[in-house]
Amino acid sequence: NSPAPLPERAIYGFALFLGSWFGFMLYVIWAYVPETWLFSLGLTYWPQKYWAVALPMYLLVAIGIGYILLFGINMMSTAPLNSTHTITDNYAKKQQQKKFQEEAIPALRDIPISEVNRMFFLPEK
Amino acid sequence: EERRYRSASGAPGALRRRQHSASCRELAVRCPRLQLRSLSAVTSAVWLAAYGLFVLTENSTVLSAAIFITLFGLIIYLHFVKVDQESLLVIGSLGIQVTSSYASGKESTTFIEMGQVKDVVINEAIHMQKVIYYLCILLQDPGDPQGVSEVVPLFQSSKPRLDCLIEVYKSCQEILEQRKTAPQ
Repeated sequence: NSPAPLPERAIYGFALFLGSWFGFMLYVIWAYVPETWLFSLGLTYWPQKYWAVALPMYLLVAIGIGYILLFGINMMSTAPLNSTHTITDNYAKKQQQKKFQEEAIPALRDIPISEVNRMFFLPEK
Repeated sequence: EERRYRSASGAPGALRRRQHSASCRELAVRCPRLQLRSLSAVTSAVWLAAYGLFVLTENSTVLSAAIFITLFGLIIYLHFVKVDQESLLVIGSLGIQVTSSYASGKESTTFIEMGQVKDVVINEAIHMQKVIYYLCILLQDPGDPQGVSEVVPLFQSSKPRLDCLIEVYKSCQEILEQRKTAPQ
């Protein structure tokens, strides 16, 4: 799964490049060429030209609101100060205590907050 | 004794410690006072907006309404929102009492008995866009001796900084340790 260039990836890239250029040219033609010329060519079933301006506007406004929405969702899902999620969670409650071995580094575990507080704030005797 | 500290937003306040007996301590944190400049700023803003509305609508009841709104708003703010002092009374064998006194003189009290108190710790959490330290009481879960059933944050309105919290923490721990050495 390396990001190295491969022949298949080159083909996909080129196909996407051509496709996006074609889509853009189609959009420009639809937006700028007057309707009468398109009708004379026989192409009558196009969406209204109103959408040529409306869709980009909708997209930009959606992106702008998305920034604010993301910020708001983050603030809403922050745990309030009086919830136990600031102290512990399911994984910490279910953790198993490993046996203490002499001269070995102690196993990694979630230290309870009372112990952490004592270590930080009470002076060592 | 009393000493100065700063709240999380930088405003000055004071911590007062009193020892009533060997197992009873009272810690009172005084909040920053209502500033005259913020009060006059809000009043001027409301009155300017009301005057603008009066110029637009030529209706003088807008002005008297603005005066009443300012007055009632100030009374409601002082009675329900603005906390003047928050105090913690720790009695070793009995429990912990938390009192908030508002600027209008109202006091609201909560008592937590010692059997329910697991520990008093300094926790850090994300609040708005900052990480703040705050003191909280951990309540014991009746079914699980290691579990915490509830977290009661203290000093919510004065929000003292870490140096003040460490003093309060040390005082509380001295009393809470006594219940481990002398359980009856």
